[in-house]
Amino acid sequence: MKEHPLQIKMNTNTKLKVSNLTKTRKSSDFFWAYLMIAPTMLGLFIFYLWPIFQTFYFSFTEWGAFGQFEWTGLDNYKRMLEDTNLLKSFKNTGIYIIFTVPIGIILSILIAVLLNQKIKGKSVYRTLYFLPVITMPAAIAMVWKWLYNSDYGLLNYILSLFGIKGPQWVSDPKIALYSIIVVAIWSGIGYNMVIFLSGLQGIPKSYYEAAEIDGAGPISVFFKITLPLLSPVIFFVSITSLIGAFQVFDLIFMMIGKSSTALESTQSVVYLFYQHAFVLNDKGYAAAIAVLLLVVILIITAIQMVLQKKWVHYD
Amino acid sequence: MKKWLLLLLTVILGLIGLAGCSNDDTASGDGKVEITYGFWDKKQVAAIDEVIKLFNEKYPDIKVKTEITPYGQYFQKLETAATGAALPDVMWMNGAHVQQYAEGKVILPLTDLAKKDNYSLDNYPKSLTDLYTVKGEIFGIPKDFDTTGLWYNKKIFDEAGVPYPDDSWDWNKLKEVAKKLTDKDKDIWGFAATMGNQGGYYDLIWQNGGYIISDDGKSAGFDQPEAIEALNYNISFIKEGLSPTQAQMTETAVSELFSSGKVAMMFDGPWMVQEYKNNPDINVAVVPKGKQRAVSIHGLANVIAANTKHKDAAWKFVQFLGSKEAAEIFAKTGTVIPAYNDTQDAWVQAVPTINLQAFIDGVDYSVPLPNEKRTGEIWQYETDVLKKVWSEEESIEDGVKELTEKANEALSKK
Amino acid sequence: MEKTRQLVKSKTFLIHFVLIVGSVAMVMPFLWMILTSLKTYAESIHVPPVIFPKDLQWGNFIEVFGLLPFFKFMFNTFIITVVRTAGQLFLCSLAAYAFARIEFPGRNILFLLALSVLMVPGQVFLLPQYMIMVKLGWLNTLQAVIVPGMFSAFGTFLLRQFFMGLPKELEEAARLDGCNHFQIYWKVMLPLAKPGLIALGIFTTLWSWNELMWPMIVNSSPESMTLSVGLSSLQGQYLTNYPVLMAGSFLAILSMLVLFIILQKQFIEGIAVTGGK
Repeated sequence: MKEHPLQIKMNTNTKLKVSNLTKTRKSSDFFWAYLMIAPTMLGLFIFYLWPIFQTFYFSFTEWGAFGQFEWTGLDNYKRMLEDTNLLKSFKNTGIYIIFTVPIGIILSILIAVLLNQKIKGKSVYRTLYFLPVITMPAAIAMVWKWLYNSDYGLLNYILSLFGIKGPQWVSDPKIALYSIIVVAIWSGIGYNMVIFLSGLQGIPKSYYEAAEIDGAGPISVFFKITLPLLSPVIFFVSITSLIGAFQVFDLIFMMIGKSSTALESTQSVVYLFYQHAFVLNDKGYAAAIAVLLLVVILIITAIQMVLQKKWVHYD
Repeated sequence: MKKWLLLLLTVILGLIGLAGCSNDDTASGDGKVEITYGFWDKKQVAAIDEVIKLFNEKYPDIKVKTEITPYGQYFQKLETAATGAALPDVMWMNGAHVQQYAEGKVILPLTDLAKKDNYSLDNYPKSLTDLYTVKGEIFGIPKDFDTTGLWYNKKIFDEAGVPYPDDSWDWNKLKEVAKKLTDKDKDIWGFAATMGNQGGYYDLIWQNGGYIISDDGKSAGFDQPEAIEALNYNISFIKEGLSPTQAQMTETAVSELFSSGKVAMMFDGPWMVQEYKNNPDINVAVVPKGKQRAVSIHGLANVIAANTKHKDAAWKFVQFLGSKEAAEIFAKTGTVIPAYNDTQDAWVQAVPTINLQAFIDGVDYSVPLPNEKRTGEIWQYETDVLKKVWSEEESIEDGVKELTEKANEALSKK
Repeated sequence: MEKTRQLVKSKTFLIHFVLIVGSVAMVMPFLWMILTSLKTYAESIHVPPVIFPKDLQWGNFIEVFGLLPFFKFMFNTFIITVVRTAGQLFLCSLAAYAFARIEFPGRNILFLLALSVLMVPGQVFLLPQYMIMVKLGWLNTLQAVIVPGMFSAFGTFLLRQFFMGLPKELEEAARLDGCNHFQIYWKVMLPLAKPGLIALGIFTTLWSWNELMWPMIVNSSPESMTLSVGLSSLQGQYLTNYPVLMAGSFLAILSMLVLFIILQKQFIEGIAVTGGK
């Protein structure tokens, strides 16, 4: 999308300029502008901006049984230092991110590149790969939990045909997290694929024609042309999937039961937040977890912003 | 286009406007009130619907709306709702939570109401009314109670040529038969060593002479030798391959393994009657004895939310739920053992194919579940810690040490 | 020539091969869901598995309806999705237009403020939002789910990008005709921003339909539950009776599946737009 002159001006236009507009028109402009942004800004303020401060405040409190709370200073943060479950949940979330984000991106680029070739049945493939995107995570979790069932699941049955005794996919603490990662990648491919596909279609044909004349093979075309030109899209997708992966909850909540032995080794930061906030009624501590999550996400996004200068090509 | 916008605005404003009155719309002009009844067991829906129908014949002006929440989320929802003053008017309560709710002033003391209406509490077993008495005030009207039985699958016994369980059984016999019935080729386990407290390791600990919480309410007894021995016995079924593993039991519910003939025996309560009564292979016997006979007993009660807008209607409904009439309906459907004295026989006869007397026999040597204020918290710790023991990730000794420490800490809190 | 044609042929074959393997992996769970939903419980836990049920057990679906007010859940989810989506489209586009096309004091600050919401993980808002619902007495009502979801920093940002890309001449012409800003927005700009509106609409619809945590927190009564929450409570009550669980899952995803098949092009283009620039 082309940059409109307004966008450039945006950063410098704090001073009032009286150009061809009359004063009255100006104030009528203001009136309309404030009127038009009012509902959204008010909603954002009440439901999103003010809550940020409130959560920050709650993180210094401890909650009693039925809604009363008292100021306890830094207690919640001190408690975090000793909370092995919290540490574990960050580790789990970290592993989850390290696998889902890169593998998810690589696979969806692969599918997108293949779908960008001149082949038949493109739209059928695209539809099939997109199916998990429109399916609610609760249902996805349920069907995968069933596929993963160690005694009666389809997956272990297929493995048994090859003489392999399949593991306990969702109960074995060493494996469960990876089982969830597979589901996450499976359900996310379609979404990213569509974005990459539109990115690929934006690459001018002339680049490829030029490469063909130079006699470059498909592999070197991919690495020398496709990948660099796609890098802004890859950057965007990696930021959004990273933030999304940080907040993983639904799959874990639905697939790992409370009495499951794999809970400790799969629960994510957000799962722990949910537990403290709405199950254990430990809302002060939950608020502190939310604050910590915010800080971590901001730091990681900032790092990505710095790193992107090294590998993202804008033309 | 303009019309569309207008419509949208109307919808939005309408919804927001609606919000303001959603709490009061139950008290409409014609004197009718609507109260909500919150509970967790879907197996009792039919009986409850029938009770409500009967109630409405007496009080046509009080409409009762039911609200089911699965047990796993029930108390979490109640707590959330209590914070938001959105509790159902009448709801189920268990012994583990009654103290906390009574002291939090979330539920209504019923002593004065009962006095005013001459409502007698002598119609219920004393152990149950005691359970719901906090600081001299009664907070709940007993609804039902349950003990433990040894459920078994006759078909598996017949095929193995083993006689059915009877009251001569002890721990050794249970183990011995479990070994005989376990058949790896047919995918059959002799016994399911479930990780449950009521109808599980609590019963076994008591049978072995141990205790869960000391009489003074100050310390937990999980780390006592009797308790360790009982847990050992329980888990040995898993270790020896006579029971599905903890992982298998979380992936596929034991009750379903049992009803589909993959598990020969298991401990469970009378609440399973509804589920099993149409299966001709299933019957129940008394729980085998250890050093002594013991089973858990626990009963639910109906309580009223402190901030209900329809106190009178709620109290009328609770009285009716506690009446002989209602108890007989529950008895007839075989759902639960009604708490109202002398209606239990009707319950035993409700499902003649199943030996329900086994549950009534248990009453004589039953032990009530703990009802300290922090019981709910301790139950949480039990799940957290014991699941590691059950899946053999942690030794029993380490597990009970950790659990006892946590439980003792909870008990020492106010 | 023959050689290159063969090369092209084998290349196409390879591409199809990879894509088909992937497609099978994508579709298989759905097929297994449908197959399981039509089995008896005994068939579902038979070893080796029964692939095709002997008699189709439609009763599993009836059982789902009997135990949970599934139509009610569907209706709730529908209302929530429609009102949230319509609300966002209107409110976000209104604000986006002002941010993109009108100069007014405080515009940058206010816009940055809105943007800052995008940087914050959702959990940070949850507790206070929940407290607001408690204070308003909105727990267990549809508006508890709807209202916070009608305001979106993302939607405002996305649509602002669209409005900024539109040529200024159109607006000038309308102004000379004496239109005020609302009229310009409504008559001139909104129709031009259609791709953006469709994209935001699809995005919000999907998110609304599938969301689990917030509706679960504020709505526990079956009267106001959504499909996602209903499904999770089905799992809570039905333990592991997979035929019934699969029947419930299939019912829950069915309506979105139908909508997707009808509006495939819009869905895919819409997602591409929200992800692209």
